[in-house]
Amino acid sequence: MSNSKNTILSLRNVKKHFPIKEGVFQNVVGQVHAVDGVSFDIGAGETVGLVGESGCGKTTIGRCVSGLEPLTDGDIFFDLTPEKLVALEDFEKHQSEIKNKYLIDEIQSTSNISKIEGDDFYNYRRNCQMVFQDSFSSLSPRQLVSDIVSRPLKIHKVCADNELIPRTIELLEQVGLGKQHLYRFPHQFSGGQRQRISIARALALDPKLIVLDEPTSALDVSVQAQILNLLHDLQKQRGLSYLFITHNLSVIRHMADKIVVMYLGKVVEAGKTEDIFANPQHPYTKALLAASPDLSEDVMSDMAALDGPIPDPARPPQGCSFRTRCPVSRTECGWEVDDIIRRLEHHETLIDSIKSVHQPDAFNAKLTFETSFSAIELKDAIGTNDIPKQMRKAIKKIEVDGNDVNISFDPVQTVPLVQSDNGSLSRCVLANK
Amino acid sequence: MKKNAQNAGIDEVNFNDSAFKVRLKRNLEILSNVLANPTTVLGLIIVILMLAMAIFAPVITEPNTPDPYQMPRDWKAARSAPLTPGHILGTTNRGGDVFYGVVWGARTSLKLSILVVTLTVVLGVIIGSVAGIVGGKVDEILMRIVDVFLSIPELIFALAIAAILGPSFTNIILALVIVFWVKYARIMRAQVIRIKQREYVDAAKIMGASKLQIYLKDILPNSFSPVMVQATLDMGNIVLVGATLSFIGLSEAGIAEWGVLVSEGQAGISAGRWWASTFPGLMVFLWALAFNLVGDGLRDVLDPRTETKR
Repeated sequence: MSNSKNTILSLRNVKKHFPIKEGVFQNVVGQVHAVDGVSFDIGAGETVGLVGESGCGKTTIGRCVSGLEPLTDGDIFFDLTPEKLVALEDFEKHQSEIKNKYLIDEIQSTSNISKIEGDDFYNYRRNCQMVFQDSFSSLSPRQLVSDIVSRPLKIHKVCADNELIPRTIELLEQVGLGKQHLYRFPHQFSGGQRQRISIARALALDPKLIVLDEPTSALDVSVQAQILNLLHDLQKQRGLSYLFITHNLSVIRHMADKIVVMYLGKVVEAGKTEDIFANPQHPYTKALLAASPDLSEDVMSDMAALDGPIPDPARPPQGCSFRTRCPVSRTECGWEVDDIIRRLEHHETLIDSIKSVHQPDAFNAKLTFETSFSAIELKDAIGTNDIPKQMRKAIKKIEVDGNDVNISFDPVQTVPLVQSDNGSLSRCVLANK
Repeated sequence: MKKNAQNAGIDEVNFNDSAFKVRLKRNLEILSNVLANPTTVLGLIIVILMLAMAIFAPVITEPNTPDPYQMPRDWKAARSAPLTPGHILGTTNRGGDVFYGVVWGARTSLKLSILVVTLTVVLGVIIGSVAGIVGGKVDEILMRIVDVFLSIPELIFALAIAAILGPSFTNIILALVIVFWVKYARIMRAQVIRIKQREYVDAAKIMGASKLQIYLKDILPNSFSPVMVQATLDMGNIVLVGATLSFIGLSEAGIAEWGVLVSEGQAGISAGRWWASTFPGLMVFLWALAFNLVGDGLRDVLDPRTETKR
């Protein structure tokens, strides 16, 4: 990253957990870890692509950035000068010895969007806008285009009342529409035109950052290209930064300067677009690239397509969260008791005869069966090829004691994001070597 | 055919259009869609005739003094059959002019239905909106209260309340308000929950609109059409239930109200004096039918499923 430009947005260990509520009294029975410790930066005039399967938390990040969802933990900083960014990184590394205390205080009080309130937050609203996926749902069916596009101008009192309409026409012209479209309802437009209206609305306050939440996935391919080119041109003209959320890798390749790949609420790989496409490090990224229909590249043809379900984000796997579906998983990936239970779910007779599970932590458990026969059967089942070899190797101890089976694994820390050969960050035990 | 009309609408919009003209044009379009259905038109004609009768009641028949809502009594002409001079629809046992009752009964019904519908819509929309927007425990508590109200059949519930409060016209209004608001609360809550998840509400939040602005400009206008349909249907239902309550004697005796008249006339039916009950009964039937026809027509046009296509 060049050091001369400002960093428009800096996510620091952002977490967003949604409580699972039940019953009349809305008791909290669990937490969905939608976003679990995500950090990345967006520079001025830069496009960062956020990719991942549905349910990986990419849209939640978009909603957190645009201020729609309060964060559970972590910080999002807005518009940091290079000095501030350095000071902040310094502060995070050496918490105890604060060199630039006044600068840190200033950053916290003016740039941390999860802490600022009132006028400062209002100001942030002007600088961060969003374009949604579904243009039917993102434009109110009862408002005219003139109302929709001029509304942000009215709310922020950007211009006098008699200037509203000229400004609105100007905005419409910038997105390839005209004044003949001013007094129409959204339903009178095609999908591509409606998305242009959304973009005009997002541009109205002249923001520095626009969150694009799958802006083209509801459009057909020829229109997609038009919208992408429009976004490209607007970025050049206005020096906008984009946070581009999508699952479409060819779109992201066309648009993004940097890519952040997410899986189960965590970043699994982050780096420059060309690096990631040329030499993906994480097996998940490899699988994603292999899954996208691209005839020109068969480098990844040895990667099997992903199968198996995404684990429950309310109980994300320890260690490497991708290991349950990983084709190249290792013994040290952080296997745990939940993996055995997940396997048991396919084994009806065993899961029916299970009486209780005593699990002091993720890596140790005592499973009690109704009969000692079932307990032995479980041990035998773990010995067979139904269980991945790497997982079998990771089991430290498995003992049958009457009706009980004691299982323990080697405890493993969460796999960290580390710098790999190609300069990108990757969260995989293979990259650690 | 409908589609062609709509497409023509787009092309007609030109540079000289103003927001006002476009809105007017769209409202006319909706109206023309409503009028495309002949049964709705029939309902609308009856409604307009009924409303005209209610509004011009003092012109049609001389108002009774001092209280025009009280039936005039002509003891000499008691029990006279229809088409007698001065009493074209005959008189009741107690000498009340049936025609006067029919005409001024329309006024009473209009008063009753407008009062009850306004009060219930306001109450229901407020409570439903609070439940839908706040959610969580507030929603649970409010909706359980609504469930209690809904678990009792509306006629029996209204009857019980009116009986407790004592026989009077005001108490009937009160009883009907207590019974009818729950439906609106239910409808409004469902609509608000549906609409507040729309992305245009998120977009308004992101541009910095206040919560009140979002409610008034985005949520309320987009969630109101089912409430309007229900209100139209209830304009008819309320008169029906109100007449029932009057019929069993929970209203004031002697007022110009269709239910009261039916009740007064019922003793004479077996003796061949059919008119005193039949004409007011017919009015109740027509009133309820007309508003139901119009409500059904509105529902077809304002149906949420066709909302985005309009």
